[in-house]
Amino acid sequence: MNQVATLVFHGRFRVESFLDFVRHRADRLALHAGIGTVTADCIEVSVAGDEELLDAFELACSLGPIDCIVLDHCRIRTIESRANAYVPRSGGL
Amino acid sequence: MSFGAGWYPVALSNGLETGRSAGTRLFDRELCIWRDANGMAHAWEDRCPHRGMRLSFGFVRGDRIACLYHGWQYDTQGHCRFIPAHPDLDVPDTIGVATYTCTERLGMLWVYSDREVETPPDLPIGPREIVPVRSLYVDCKPAAVMQALAARSKNIGSAGVTLLSLDADGRDLLTGIQPYGEVKTALHMVLPGDPGVNRGAVRHAAAAWAEGLRRCLEQGTEQIAERAATHEVAP
Repeated sequence: MNQVATLVFHGRFRVESFLDFVRHRADRLALHAGIGTVTADCIEVSVAGDEELLDAFELACSLGPIDCIVLDHCRIRTIESRANAYVPRSGGL
Repeated sequence: MSFGAGWYPVALSNGLETGRSAGTRLFDRELCIWRDANGMAHAWEDRCPHRGMRLSFGFVRGDRIACLYHGWQYDTQGHCRFIPAHPDLDVPDTIGVATYTCTERLGMLWVYSDREVETPPDLPIGPREIVPVRSLYVDCKPAAVMQALAARSKNIGSAGVTLLSLDADGRDLLTGIQPYGEVKTALHMVLPGDPGVNRGAVRHAAAAWAEGLRRCLEQGTEQIAERAATHEVAP
């Protein structure tokens, strides 16, 4: 079942490194992804795709690249989607 | 000398049975070679994209290979097709294993070393009758082995193909050279000609000769020249 989820990661980030990681994992899992809020300690990502793949994406990003530390993460929103007609809020990856 | 992008043998064909997988290396890159139920051979990066387990430890099931660790199954194109933990998931094609182009000629499994080349040149070796002799793993640098053997053989390959014809006590011994790693080289040897003649004692003699060759290679290239001059028979 397709879903759209907004994931928020809290921690200490090298922003470009984390976003590269997000892009790579989203591509690998064939997810549509968009970036929301970005600061050095909080990054918001919206992703759309299969439920299981969203879970895999969240788990991968919770580990993150070696130069970032994710201290906490949560989903602030999940909605079901009938199609992949997802438009990222802040531009696609 | 140096080795460029090209076709390299990574195993004797008869060493890879239907439904089996094995690990090998090419330029220190780890490869999984496996043969599906239809007899087709495959050469992939030896790494499951899920958790990095060696796929060569996996199980071949029909036309798929399953990772030993979590059972992810990959089809012959390298695409993941089934994840046991999520049996209803339609796995996207983006989840897959890096694959190499491979083919079989002269009783050897050949791999094209450069994955970035979408359409590698054809392997310019035609079908011939052969008898597989053996594979040898030599603790020497590939370039040194190539140089030592070149002095006593003719290169019957063409550009991008490392195939030598060695004089094994008067018999032609076709030898494919696999640059296994920085200090390790694999030699895959076959006898061309009528299998009815070359099986049995002839093949055993060639295998024994090859064993002596390995000792010489590992002891130093000087002895190769000496051996070539005297046509020493290996014990």
